[in-house]
Formats: sequence, C-alpha cells, structure tokens
Amino acid sequence: MIELKDSVTRINMPLVKLENAGKNYITGEISTPALKEINLSIEAGKFISFVGPSGSGKTTLLNLIGCLDRPTSGRVFVAGAEVSAMDRKTSAKFRGENIGFIFQNFNLIPVLTVYENVEYPLIMVQNVQPEERRRRVTEMLDKVGMAEQAHKYPAQLSGGQKQRVAVARALAPRPRLVLADEPTANLDHATAYKVIGLMHAMKKEFDTTFIFATHDQKIVGEAELIYTIEDGLITETRENAAAGGKK
Amino acid sequence: MKNIIKIAWRNLLRYTRRTLLTSSLIALGVALVIVFGGVGNSFRSEVTGILTNSNLGDLQIHKKGYLGSMDNLPLDLAIPEKGLAAIRGILDANPDVLAYSERIRFGAMVSNFAQTTGIRLTAVAPEKESRVCPALPGRIKQGDADPAAFVKPGSVVLPLTIAAGLNLKVGDDVVLVATNKEGSVNGITFKLSGVSENIMGPQGKDGYIHLDDARSLLRIEDGEITEIAVKLRDFKRLGKVYPALKKTIAALPGAKGEAGSEVKPGKGGFETHSWEELSPFSSIARIVALLILVVRLVLVFIVLVSILNVMMMSVYERIGEIGTIASIGTPPSKILALFLVEGLSLGLFSGLLGCLAGAGILLLLQAVKLKFTFGAMDLMLAPAVPLAEMLLSLTVVVIISTLASLQPALKASRMEPVEALRHV
Repeated sequence: MIELKDSVTRINMPLVKLENAGKNYITGEISTPALKEINLSIEAGKFISFVGPSGSGKTTLLNLIGCLDRPTSGRVFVAGAEVSAMDRKTSAKFRGENIGFIFQNFNLIPVLTVYENVEYPLIMVQNVQPEERRRRVTEMLDKVGMAEQAHKYPAQLSGGQKQRVAVARALAPRPRLVLADEPTANLDHATAYKVIGLMHAMKKEFDTTFIFATHDQKIVGEAELIYTIEDGLITETRENAAAGGKK
Repeated sequence: MKNIIKIAWRNLLRYTRRTLLTSSLIALGVALVIVFGGVGNSFRSEVTGILTNSNLGDLQIHKKGYLGSMDNLPLDLAIPEKGLAAIRGILDANPDVLAYSERIRFGAMVSNFAQTTGIRLTAVAPEKESRVCPALPGRIKQGDADPAAFVKPGSVVLPLTIAAGLNLKVGDDVVLVATNKEGSVNGITFKLSGVSENIMGPQGKDGYIHLDDARSLLRIEDGEITEIAVKLRDFKRLGKVYPALKKTIAALPGAKGEAGSEVKPGKGGFETHSWEELSPFSSIARIVALLILVVRLVLVFIVLVSILNVMMMSVYERIGEIGTIASIGTPPSKILALFLVEGLSLGLFSGLLGCLAGAGILLLLQAVKLKFTFGAMDLMLAPAVPLAEMLLSLTVVVIISTLASLQPALKASRMEPVEALRHV
C-alpha cells in the first residue's frame, strides 16, 4: 500500500525526517523566513503535536511533511521517499497513498454525501475495487459513529459530525500518516474531546501516525511527543508520559 | 469516469439558477439556429422547387455562348439537328435523366389588333415540357391546363401581366410577330388558350406556344432548337450528375457554327448549366446559407462566452475545494477532467434542450403551414426538422463548451494545493 522507491529501504528509517528544512515566503522583494533549518525525525505510530503561537511555522511544517509545499532549503523524507524532490503529479500520488489530511474547516466536498465523501479518495485516488471500497467505507463510518448519517450531505451535519466524517475520509485509504491542522478549532469543548478520543482510538487500531498543529491544550495533553515551535524554530521537545485515551 | 460525471452534474445542480440561466441562453441559441436553418432550408427548397418545376428544369443545354447572350434570346446560337441527335443519345442513355424538353426561345411582339407589346416566348412540345416542368400547367390559372396539351398548335399561353395589359381573355385572337435569324419578319394569328401566373426569374414571364408554330413563325425548316431543359429523377443527385453530364456534353463536337465552320471534336460546341447558374435566386439561396452560417457563428460566440464565464466562476468559487481534493491526492488530470466534464455536460444539456425547443417550434410551423408571397410566387413554408442541422449544432455546442472549459479546467488542475487551501 505504501509506495517506496526501490532505492529506498524502510528498515531503520523514521517515518518522517527533515534535514535542515527551511521555508521562506517571498512577497515582492521581501523574504520572510517561516521555518529555519529544521531537523526532525518522527517514528511511526506516534501521536505528535506541534504547538506554538500563530505565525510560528506550525502549519508550514505540516505542509512540508504533507508534501503540499516544498522547502526552500534542506530535504524532507516521508516513508523513506524524498517528498521535497517530487514533481506535482508524483507528490499527488504519494499523498493519496500515504498521507491523510484533517482540516480545521473540515473541507468535506459539499456535493457528495457522507458516504461518498469517505469513498472519494478510494475511487478518485486509489482506484479501490467496489466491494473492498464498500467494506472500508462502511467500516470507517461505523467506527466514527456516522453510519446512520451516511446518506446526508455535509450541510446537514453539525461541526462535530463533519469532523468525524473528515477523520473517516482521512483514514479510509489506510494512510501511514495523518496530518491534522487545528482539527478542533471549530468545535466546542465536548465535541473536541470526542474527536480527539476518536483519533486516538484510530491511531491505536490502525497504528497510524498522527501529527497535529494546534493551540488546543486538549490535543496537546493527548500527544505523546510535543514539539514547541517559535519563530520557525523547534525550541522545545518533550515527551508526555500521561498521554493516551483521556476523554 | 462515472464518479467524475456524477460530481460534475452535482456541481452544476449546486448552482441551479446559474446553470439554468446559462442553459437557457445556449438552448435559445441552438433553437434559433435550428429554426433558422429549418425555415431557411424550407424556403430555399420551396423556391428552388417552384423554379425548377415551373420553367427552368434542373439543367439546361445550349449552344456554346448562348448563356452570355441569353437576355437577347439569340436565334443564331441554336442547337442544330445533328448536335441535337447526339445530345438526345446522351440524355436517353443516362439513367439519372427522367425527361428532357426541347425548346425554341425567342422575342416577339404580341398585338390585340389595337395595342402591341413585346413578349418573350418559349415554344415547347407540351407533353415533354410537362414532364420536365410538372408545375407549369398548374401555373395556368385561366384556360386549358391539361399537362399533355396546355398549348396546342395555333394557340398561345400569355403571362398574366401581358394578358391583363392588353385586356385579353381566353379565346381572344392575338397576333404574334417575330423576326427570324435571317432578319425576316413574320406574323401569325393565335388564339389565347390560357393565362399563366408570373414567377420570378428570366423565364418567369414567358408566354408559351407549340414548337411546330414557332418553326412556322420563324421559318425554321430543319429541326434546330435553342434550348434543352432536363429533369433528373432525383434532384438530390444534381451535384453528381451535373458535372458528369457537363463534361460529356462539352466533349461533343459542335455542328456548323455561325461562320459556317465545323467545331473540331473535343473543342465542344455545347454548354450545360445547372438551374443555379440560370436563376438569380441562386444568389438569394447563397445569402440564406450565409445567414445560417452567421447565426451559427453567433451561437458559437454565445456558447463560448457563457460556458467560459460559468466555468471561470465555478473555479474561483471552489478554489478551497480544489485545494482539498488536490491535497487528498486527486491527480491533476482528474481535476482537469472534472471541470472539463462539467463544461461539456452543461453544453450537452443545453444543446439537447435547444434541439428539443427548435424541433418543437419547427413542428409547430409545419402544422401551421406558413403561407406568404415572395417575388410573385405564393410560398408555403412547412419546414422539416433538420436532423443533420441538429446534430451539427449539438456537436458544435459540445466541442465549444469543452474548449471554453479548457482554460478554467487547466487553471484548476495547475493550482498548488497549499495556495488553494489558504483561499477561504
């Protein structure tokens, strides 16, 4: 399922690795550094949080790992492949097969039902056969508690329900890595806890690595490893022994 | 692809009002093309039918040079007996030729013994002429209109304008005076046997006499004539039959020319012309065809602008969504296909709607049978639904829709996901 280049071996390779990765945003003649020489290794199967104030570079780091953006310097490896060197077509294929995304605004496709939204990456990206597709969508909707809403459109759902569907969509293709940018920012306290619990459960069940960019202390408290980012630099790395399974 | 089509249609239905407005505009354009094409073609074929069936025939054969002097109706550019026999042989052997009629056309004076006026006369053998021009007897509104004998020896059919101008009624005597090719003048008294209605074109106001009377009046002793009108079994085959026949006739050696010299074999002594070259209406027919083309171009413009506008708006409104599907891993080619199918579907739907509306209007016109007068001809428009025109319009709309969607679709497929996701 995970596509690795022949020349790259999985053995002893972290799932995510950044080597001196930097990113500058250029506006006219002004170059603004968003990330500075980041070196980072993330092992598979972790629940990780990037925390820091707005504009610190959390989302930029997530975008580089998710091969949505390219670093202006350094290299980024995901699952053994150098994603920073991929062209648009290859990186789209790589994302579709290896990375799931959960967004702050849920980003469900409004013209598709809950079922079709979860099914979308399996049809349009992975070309999964119909029977297997049905099985996986049904399974994921069951797991996120949205099976009974399968026929509804996003506009008919609450914020919490939409984010559960987004979790199901991110996990249905069975990615090794899920990237979530402020996934609880638009949810109330109780719903946010439910969604975090759901992602935690999914992480355990599918051994998926979750990386969050967040301000939310609820998520931070659940993370096994917390990276604090300030002014484009990782200023602190700490393990959270108390992490896991709080609701 | 099924999923792409499903998403494309749902996106179209998502903005129902916009989709319906655009569709209506395109459908109106398509309907206009179909109705205009149907009515234009009906008008063209109706007038063509009247002209070819009333006096022109589908083709005419003359001595070389005759067409250039046709307004003078020259008797010295006649088809001699020997040439006529050769032409008869060719026409008789051609399976596409239904009938042909030999004619002598000349200018004369007609007098009611008190007043005299000029007239153009066509001398015919009525039975043959009726086979070539089956609508001719029907144009004779007063008097004998028997197709086999609408003009008998000793009688004349005059056009309505001359009969009315000279205050003549069927049964009245008139004198026809003509000059033959040697310059001698002769006059014969005829009985008015019929009055024909006028139609447009150079032969639309001709009077008719019997071929034998013309020979007497013009003192033609051999069998020479000035014109052969030809009727084809299938008018639609004119385009194929005409060039072949023209070539064969042109290859015939001419008989004695005006200078008395023999035209050498292969040089050609005769010329063949289709009805289009003989009637000014062919220019009108070309104008009608040109107008249909202009309306078609307007349609292309309507479709191009409408679809381009809708698809541009669609892309700008869905930048965030494009970012989402791109980040999920949708390949750029599928994003391109998604927007192309959306434009194509809108075009196809609108085109079909327009075809239905156009066909409906034409069927209505067919039932109503619109009647009007054009150049002294009473026309009845009953336009058929032009299936080829419908298919062409639909194809044009679908192709232009797809082309108009290409730029917005390319823009969508080339968006950087990270840029698109930032767009709210």
